[in-house]
Amino acid sequence: MAKEHEKVMAKKEGALHGVKIIDLSDERAIYGVKLLADLGADVVRPEPIEGYPLRARGPLRDGEQSAGSSLWHAFFASNRRFFAVDLDQPEGRAQLDRLITQADIVITSDGAFGCDVLDIEDIRLRNPSLVSVECTSFGESGPWRDYLAPDLVAGALGGSVATTGDVDTPPLKCFGELNFVVSGAYVGIAALAALRHARETGEGQHVHVPVHHCIASCLEHVFMWHWYNEMLGNATDKALERRGSLHWSNAYVVMQAQGGSIMVTPTPDVDAQLVWLIEEGVAADLLDPKYQEIENRPEFMRRMMEVLREWVGSKDVQALFFDAQEHHAPYGWVLPLDRVAENPQLDARHWWQEYNSGGGDFKGPGNPYQFSETPWSMGPHGGIGEHTDSVLSEIGWGDER
Amino acid sequence: MRPLEGIRILDFTHVLAGPFATRILADMGADVVKVNSAARMGMNGAAGPYYPTWNRNKRALALDMSHEEARAIGKRLALQADVVIDNFSVGVLDRWGMGFEDVSSKNSGVIYLQMSGMGEGGPWSNFVTFAPTIHALSGLTRLTGVPGREDIGIGFSYNDHVAGLHGATAILSAIESRRRSGQGQRIDLSQFEVGVNLLGPALMDFFVNGVEAQPGGNKLPYDKTAPHGCYRCAGAISDSVVDERWIAIACLSEVHWEKLVEVMDRPEWAGDSRFSSASKRWQHSGALDALISKWTKDHDALHLMEICQSAGVPAGVVQNGKDLVENDPQLRASEFVMKLGENDPLVGEAFADRLPIEFSKTPCNTYRPAQPVGADNTDVLNDWLDLSSDEVRQGEEAGHFV
Repeated sequence: MAKEHEKVMAKKEGALHGVKIIDLSDERAIYGVKLLADLGADVVRPEPIEGYPLRARGPLRDGEQSAGSSLWHAFFASNRRFFAVDLDQPEGRAQLDRLITQADIVITSDGAFGCDVLDIEDIRLRNPSLVSVECTSFGESGPWRDYLAPDLVAGALGGSVATTGDVDTPPLKCFGELNFVVSGAYVGIAALAALRHARETGEGQHVHVPVHHCIASCLEHVFMWHWYNEMLGNATDKALERRGSLHWSNAYVVMQAQGGSIMVTPTPDVDAQLVWLIEEGVAADLLDPKYQEIENRPEFMRRMMEVLREWVGSKDVQALFFDAQEHHAPYGWVLPLDRVAENPQLDARHWWQEYNSGGGDFKGPGNPYQFSETPWSMGPHGGIGEHTDSVLSEIGWGDER
Repeated sequence: MRPLEGIRILDFTHVLAGPFATRILADMGADVVKVNSAARMGMNGAAGPYYPTWNRNKRALALDMSHEEARAIGKRLALQADVVIDNFSVGVLDRWGMGFEDVSSKNSGVIYLQMSGMGEGGPWSNFVTFAPTIHALSGLTRLTGVPGREDIGIGFSYNDHVAGLHGATAILSAIESRRRSGQGQRIDLSQFEVGVNLLGPALMDFFVNGVEAQPGGNKLPYDKTAPHGCYRCAGAISDSVVDERWIAIACLSEVHWEKLVEVMDRPEWAGDSRFSSASKRWQHSGALDALISKWTKDHDALHLMEICQSAGVPAGVVQNGKDLVENDPQLRASEFVMKLGENDPLVGEAFADRLPIEFSKTPCNTYRPAQPVGADNTDVLNDWLDLSSDEVRQGEEAGHFV
């Protein structure tokens, strides 16, 4: 049945089939272009004749540099067509100009390959419905406009680093470059929203996405802690210190169990958690009538977490996780990568995809969403300039000669 | 005119991931009708700041779906919608008679997005999750931390935001697809799969090379670059952790390192053979970080950032929420943080952060505070279903629209 379904889906087009995108992004926006490419857009990625430096980013297949060995590039530059072009030559610049003149969307990052030779507004005179999305670190103006901000610095200034880490560690960035996942995703949304307007009206436009603002918009409690701290009974300052896994609500934290760690929370149904502890015979003093008083609820929650920590410490982590889920409690087993790689839920949903890069096939992440009518798909990863001839042919380069 | 004007979204989501997706779409002009019941708010509770923060620019409709009459209205609204979005357990909308199959037979262009924790089908499909659950199960908690610790993880509900961003992307993509085909469709978004996807290169490394990524503090996992970390600075106004001052410095090239050495006034230790190349600095990053910390600890973080950036060294103050709201000149220049009003019924003084997307032709500068549940009953039911004010009032009095 699953195979039949795959066959049917394979004949269908992706949601963004026919949308022509030129990808001049760097790390700050490339994830958003990946989302659009994997949804079926025809994405051409211009690159230098010798290849884009991002082709060398690790991790590498077999740990060594060779053609198509960058797993980073296979993931983030998936489903692109690669167009090698010499922008030091007038001909190359004219080719890029024509390519964009025939596109629906061009996505740029300031300083990335090709962006300093483009005159987008001039191109828009010939392609009025063109959507151009530019991703910069800090925006087009302001005192930090020209600051350099790789992911760690972007996260520091944007607020995500101060919020992560523990009292005995420095402030920490998230694993990898997750700040740029946020800015990239916003770039994809910006492109699609402006495309919708262009489809409705024929009017293209320029759209700007500053990484700094994107990060600041995705910090959960951080702004509300400042604005509404009087509404949050446990807020004593306008900012909350980094404090490991302890959530701002004090109701979620990673605890040590037998054989591993587990994220434990008595929410959303605290009464159900209490009943479970009673059944286990470990409710301690949590039934004390004083905890029924509203003013004692913060103290009740603090005591509840103490009792949970002691109880969890005696439990096998795997059994506790599944038992919790049986109780509809959203505990989360802290899994290392090898356990994620063999997760039964992902296997059951046939989530993993086959990738092909540098002549080799390997397993990798699948789709973050499943569309019923327009399949997500992963094509082979192209080599340097692999699609240059077909791209030039499509834009009619040389036809006039 | 904003870019998504004319798109109607019926929003049954709650907590953060779903409401964040629809907040983005509402900011860009979509008519998002947020359905709640005052009697069943749960985690949406208007008593705290969560609901007001994630539900601005939406219209608030009250429907108590325990009543057949309210469910009938829900279905009629779905028949008028471009998008229906929920993060209920699988099957709730079907039980209410307004599942995708029911509605799409009459509204063929409708797009359904379900943002569940684990997706539909599979042995974990009914598992209950919040963002910290997803962080733990996906590997994000294990990998965000320092060696020897797995109890740190990301300090905020990152995956909720990212799932919301993916949800908005999915909806807009389905709308573009519908333009071509005339057909709507159903989208199954698993917040767990969104989280696992974020570890793409690390998972590929595991499958291809058998290498299992480990927590590495502030190091990049696959680039041998150093210094690359956060360093304590002077200027703390108290002993509280929240008042500590730190600077992040990230030297990604030899040029960055050479410039940093200049900024540090060429200390003798910088010429040590342990630091003579990027790979050696990376190999001895512990010693290097300690020496840089000795330099930063007597300096003001803001001053260090300015002299580093002036010299071409990537560096930034580690800003907390107070810094962002009160001191950040970049956010201030763009009026990113703003006051929406003084006497908001939900929060009193109401604030908002802007959509971080600037459209040249369709600017999104309309910010209406989140509304109390049911505050827009009359407007919504009149606009979408042509109900009169009297009909709405009767529904409210009967307890259906509350």
